[in-house]
Amino acid sequence: MAPVQNMIKYIIKRILLMIPMLFLLLILTWVLSRVMATDPAANMFDPFTTDPAAVEAMREKLGLNKPWLVQLGIYLRNFFLGDLGKSYLGRSQGYEVSEYLKIIIPRTIELMIVPTVLTPIIAVKLGVISAAKKDKPADTLIRGLAVAGSAFPSFLIAMIFMYCGSVILPLFTGGKMFIPTFGFKNPRLDDPISYTNFRILDCILSNRIDLLMDSLLHLLLPMLTMIMISLAGITRITRSSMLDVLQQDYVRTARAKGCPESKVINKHALRNAMIPTSTVIVAGIASALIGSVIVERVFNYIGLGFTMWEAILYSDYWMILGIIIYFGIIILVANLIADVLYTIIDPRIVFK
Amino acid sequence: MNNKNQMELKESFTETNSNKTKEKYKRLLKFYLLPFWRDKDFSAQEYELGKIKSKRKLFNRLYTPLTIVGGILLLVIAICAVYVMWLTPYSIYDLNSRPGVNPYSPPTEDHPLGTTQLGWDIFGRLMFGCRTALTAGLVAITIAVVFGVIIGIISAYFGGIIDSLIMRTFDIIIAFPNLIIVLIYISMFGSELSNILLIYGILGVPGYARLLRSSVLQGKQNLYVNAAKTSGADNFRVMFKHIFPNAISPIIASVFTSMGATILGISALAFLGFGDSSIIDWGTDINVGRIRLITKPWISLWPGFFIAITVLGFMLIGDGIRDALDPKSKK
Repeated sequence: MAPVQNMIKYIIKRILLMIPMLFLLLILTWVLSRVMATDPAANMFDPFTTDPAAVEAMREKLGLNKPWLVQLGIYLRNFFLGDLGKSYLGRSQGYEVSEYLKIIIPRTIELMIVPTVLTPIIAVKLGVISAAKKDKPADTLIRGLAVAGSAFPSFLIAMIFMYCGSVILPLFTGGKMFIPTFGFKNPRLDDPISYTNFRILDCILSNRIDLLMDSLLHLLLPMLTMIMISLAGITRITRSSMLDVLQQDYVRTARAKGCPESKVINKHALRNAMIPTSTVIVAGIASALIGSVIVERVFNYIGLGFTMWEAILYSDYWMILGIIIYFGIIILVANLIADVLYTIIDPRIVFK
Repeated sequence: MNNKNQMELKESFTETNSNKTKEKYKRLLKFYLLPFWRDKDFSAQEYELGKIKSKRKLFNRLYTPLTIVGGILLLVIAICAVYVMWLTPYSIYDLNSRPGVNPYSPPTEDHPLGTTQLGWDIFGRLMFGCRTALTAGLVAITIAVVFGVIIGIISAYFGGIIDSLIMRTFDIIIAFPNLIIVLIYISMFGSELSNILLIYGILGVPGYARLLRSSVLQGKQNLYVNAAKTSGADNFRVMFKHIFPNAISPIIASVFTSMGATILGISALAFLGFGDSSIIDWGTDINVGRIRLITKPWISLWPGFFIAITVLGFMLIGDGIRDALDPKSKK
């Protein structure tokens, strides 16, 4: 009973700790926004045609001429009212930032959910095989794959997948089969009726199999790339920690008392080897929620990462600020989940 | 009689012994001087000696096939970076500013690997890119190591509230993905090369501080630290003269790996279009060549190949050094 109570106490403590962290994050983003090189008022107008009076009026309207304490107060009030400002440049022009992010975030989640779940499973399995068959061909193959995966830049991997899907596959099938490499849907197809903002769920709910297949095909290559990129790190760490654990005394004891080898590896060794590995996996979850800027950029998949890239390119002030706040909150929550998961993987943490 | 017998025996013994030693020296000389002369005893001895030596010497522990491959790869890149003026007839002005004659040219005699969208020679740009990559990695890592070491030692040595404050701050920095922080920073302060190197250096600091902190915490317990303190050494001297030299080995091992990672990060930034456009960078080449990936793949694939080679070299050497410095690893 005691361990469970301890765990609940720990979780409550962590949640309470998040409140000052959130305020710290908001103040930090506000400071950053004041340091930023772009002037939000001047950036809204064409620099060659508008007169300075209009810019000055806009500055007055946005409250940029008030004392800094008042500005911070306005900023905090706007955040808690859910008002993150209005995007004024690029693809998201005219949208409220919070409205636009509501459309964009489901797309990134659709892209990331399969790699986030699948990668740790495959990677840990590969790492265990590699450690159990040390210096055998299987080990060499897996190690080579892992080193290549972490040494090749992610955009190169994405481009190689693109080349395979759009050039090599049609070449070998006489042009009958190909995998689409751009965007999240075929622009000629219409949209399903929007129940949720998740396109795949909408397709299923409105019973459009053709749209569903199209969406899944568009997701295939980015997903493969994501898996390939994050596979390498987890595999390497699993292998090295597994090799450490396999030399411990209790593993020898387990073998000596006649435990089958599969049980020794999967039950005795793996659980302890997972402690350093879980750090990497959990860090991967946080970055997956944010979305890979590079993969979304290469495949023109308009998700969170792509939107951030675009906002920075156009210096779309409110959009950048809104995205930074969203990222911060996502990471705070992901770290909370990570700490709770640690207590489940390694219950000794609670007692320290 | 007994005595005489003994004398004889002794004489014969010494005689045979001296003969034996002479013969032994001859064999030894032959063994060492004649190239293909092999002696069973000496070979065995040599083998045993070699085994002992190999356990002791760091260099011999480093002498593994993978590390050698990594070293050769890095050597190739370094030679390209140093002797770039002899390797390509084009100057940096030809490759970065002057408009070229025939854009998107396939490999020809003048341009052994073809040209880019503005008619710049790809081979020349690759060679100059080596310079950019190595310099950038070196500068960023130097910043990271210097500040990481200082902050890590101070944090671990004094402990208490300073330690927890520094470490909590670093936890927050580490929680954010690197590329996101870099993008935010660049959107605020502009994308000059010095800015990019500075932010990559700062982002490396938490990792090194943590690494050094854990090894300093172990080193602090040693008796010689107490001895230094009682003999009147001030904090600075204890930190940097007594603790630091014994805590540095994990840092050496990770310098190479994180240099590879930094080069990857900088090229990724250039790929997204936020790199410094006034320098020659592999990532920029990939970004512009990517548009013609299907019809003219050589423009973007060659720089990608070079990035991969450089990072692979750094990673292999980093792995080799880590294995060699780690006393637990068994070969």
